[in-house]
Amino acid sequence: MLIPHPLLGLRDAQEFTYLGDASLLNRPDGMAEGAAEAFYDYVYLRDNPAGVHRELWFHEQGDRSWLVVTRNTVTHEILGAELARDVALAAKGGAQ
Amino acid sequence: MTDLAPITALGGSLARVQSFGALAIAENADLALASLALRRGAAQPVPMGLSLPGPGLWHAGNGIAAFWTGPGQWMIEAPGRATEDFAAVVKQAAPECSVTEQTDAFTAFEIASTAGAGPILALMAKLVNIDAAAFGPGSATRTGLEHMSVFVIRRAEDRLAVIGMRSAAGSIWHALETAAARLQGD
Amino acid sequence: MRFSGFRVIKEALTGYKGWGSLWRTPEPQASYDYVIVGGGGHGLATAYHLAKVFGAKRIAVLEKGWLGSGNIGRNTTIIRSNYLLPGNEPFYEFSMKLWENMEQEFNFNAMVSQRGILNLIHTDAQRDAYRRRGNAMRFAGADSELLDREQVRAMYPWLNFENARFPIKGGLLQRRAGTARHDGVAWGYARGADLLGVDLIQNCEVTGFRIENGRVLGVETTRGYIGAKKVGVAVAGSSGRVMAKAGMRLPIESHVLQAFVSEGLKPFIDGVITFGAGHFYVSQSDKGGLVFGGDIDGYNSYAQRGNLPVIEDVAEGGMALMPAIGRARLLRAWGGIMDMSMDGSPIIDRTGIEGLYLNAGWCYGGFKATPASGYAFAQLLATDAPHPTAAAYRLDRFARGLVIDEKGMGAQPNLH
Repeated sequence: MLIPHPLLGLRDAQEFTYLGDASLLNRPDGMAEGAAEAFYDYVYLRDNPAGVHRELWFHEQGDRSWLVVTRNTVTHEILGAELARDVALAAKGGAQ
Repeated sequence: MTDLAPITALGGSLARVQSFGALAIAENADLALASLALRRGAAQPVPMGLSLPGPGLWHAGNGIAAFWTGPGQWMIEAPGRATEDFAAVVKQAAPECSVTEQTDAFTAFEIASTAGAGPILALMAKLVNIDAAAFGPGSATRTGLEHMSVFVIRRAEDRLAVIGMRSAAGSIWHALETAAARLQGD
Repeated sequence: MRFSGFRVIKEALTGYKGWGSLWRTPEPQASYDYVIVGGGGHGLATAYHLAKVFGAKRIAVLEKGWLGSGNIGRNTTIIRSNYLLPGNEPFYEFSMKLWENMEQEFNFNAMVSQRGILNLIHTDAQRDAYRRRGNAMRFAGADSELLDREQVRAMYPWLNFENARFPIKGGLLQRRAGTARHDGVAWGYARGADLLGVDLIQNCEVTGFRIENGRVLGVETTRGYIGAKKVGVAVAGSSGRVMAKAGMRLPIESHVLQAFVSEGLKPFIDGVITFGAGHFYVSQSDKGGLVFGGDIDGYNSYAQRGNLPVIEDVAEGGMALMPAIGRARLLRAWGGIMDMSMDGSPIIDRTGIEGLYLNAGWCYGGFKATPASGYAFAQLLATDAPHPTAAAYRLDRFARGLVIDEKGMGAQPNLH
C-alpha cells in the first residue's frame, strides 16, 4: 500500500505504524457528566466497517506526522490522507 | 594516562572509505549536526543566512546546510565542524527555536559516483523504497533502510548521503557495502 | 453411514459406490428453536453440542457461503492449551480434552495429531515468563515441561542455536498439543450435527435481525425470513458487520492474518515450533509442506489477503530460527480475517438483546478453541448460564474493567 502523504507524496505503508479508527482523535472530556460511559465507548468500541474507514497512521520512518488516512478495508484502496493535526484543529473550529 | 584517542562511528581511528567501481562510500566523521524546531506560533528563522527548505528538501549555503525533517523541524549540517559545539552556534543564530545537539547521535555516509547519476539511482533502487527518479538534487527525506530509520539526501546528481543512527553505523555500512558490491558485479 | 476400518475396506473392494453425502441439503423451515449464524468451525461445533450434549431440537446453521469457508479453512491447524491467565487457560485445556476425544465421539477422522508444541526461549527473562506460564498450565490440569538448551537440541538439532541476536536457551514444551486437519474438524462437526437432525443451510446470508421490544424474533436472510427463539452468532472475522445489523458496536476490529505453506519436503519438523523472539510458528503437514505463519498485518481489513512487508517479516523470522528452510519455495500464501478484540481474548456471552447471543473476538486463536467454543456457546444458548471455563468471556468485561489481557497490550487490537 502507498499512502499519499500530504507533504511528501506517495510513501510506502511500511514506513508507517497503525493506531486505528480516526475517532480516537475525539477524546471525551474526562470531567463531563457520564465520562465513564463516554470513555468506555471511546477506548473499546469500534464501528469496524467493511468499506471506507478513516484511520490514524503515524509516519514513524518519515517525518513523524500523524495522518488521517481514508482507506477501503475490503479492497485496501487508499482514498486520501490528511495531516491529523489539520483534522483535529478543524474539528476544534480552527482554534490553536 | 589512558589513551583517549577518538574513534569514528565504525570504530576506526580514521574514517572508512571504500570504492566499488563507479561508487565510493565514505564515512563522514566530521559532520556536525544540530536539530532545530520551531516553537508554537514562532516565525521561521534564517539561521546564519541559510533559508530553511520546505518538505522533502535539502538546501546548502554559507558553509552549512539544512534539510527538512518534519513540520516545523530541520536538521542543520556543518561539514568539518564535528568537534565544535555546533548546537550552541545554531542556538545563537536562532534563539527563539529549540535546538538540540545531534552530532553524536547520528553518523553520515557520503556516496559519490564517478559515472554520473546512473549508479546513484541504481543504488537507491536497491536500498530504499523512494522513487529515485523523482528524488533529484536537493531532495532529502527520512525513510527505512533494511528496517533502520535513515535520512537520505541527494546532495548533487552524483552525490548521495545516508545519515543513520550512530549505534547502527556498522549495520548501515554493511547494507551500503553489500548493495554497492552487488551493483559492481552486475 | 458410519466410518470404520471395515467399511473402508468394503468400499475399496466395491468401487466406492456406497459413500454418500456427509450431510443433507435441507430447505430452511419457517422457524427454529435455535438459529446459529455462521457455518464455520465454531458455529458447527455449537450446533453439534446443542443437539448432542444439551438435547436441543429444531436447530439450524445458516452459512453465507459453504460450510467451513472461513477461518476454519484458513488457519495453521495448531491446537494447544498453553495460556497464562486464569480466565483463559482452563477454557483452552477444556478444549484440549475435547480434541483428544473428538474423533471417536463424532466418528470422523479429523487427523488430530498430538505431536507437541515447543515455544522457544531466547532470553533469561523469557525463561522466567515461560516457567510461570508452565506452572499456570499445570494449575489448570494441562501438561508442560520446561526444557533446557540441550533438551531442545536433542529434539531439533538443526535449529540455529548460535544466532547472535536470538540464541536459543531452552523451550516450553506441551506434548499434548499438536495439529488437526482443519477442514476435517468442520466436516466432522457438520456431519455429526446433521446426523442429530440439525439443518445445515448453505448459501444463506443473514441480512438483518428482526428485533421487537428488545427481543430477537428471527433473522432476515437471502433465503427469506427465518423465525427463531434464540439466535447465536458465531461469525468471527465478520462479527462487526453482522452485529451492526442488530445495532451493536463491538470491542473488536477486523484484521488480516496471513499464513503460508511451502512445497513438500521430507519429514524433518516433528512437532510445532514457535519462535520466541519474533512472530513465526511452523509445523510440517503430513504431505510434507511447511505450514507457517506470523503476525497480523496490523491494519483493519476485510480483504482476506495481506501485503508483502509481513511476508518478509515472517520469512526473516523463519530464517533466524531455521536457516535450513531458506531454499524451500513458498507454494501458497493466504489471508483470513480475524476478530481482534480489545484485550486479545474472546467473547461468549448474551447481548443486550434478549435471545441474541454472541460468540466472537477469537483474535488469531480461534482454531484451537473450536470444540470448547462450540460446547460453551451451546451451554449458554441452552441454559442461559455460561460454561464454568468460559465464564470470564463476558461482553461487558471491558466496561467493568475485567479484561483478560494475555499479552498486556491494552486496548490496541493490532498488538495482541
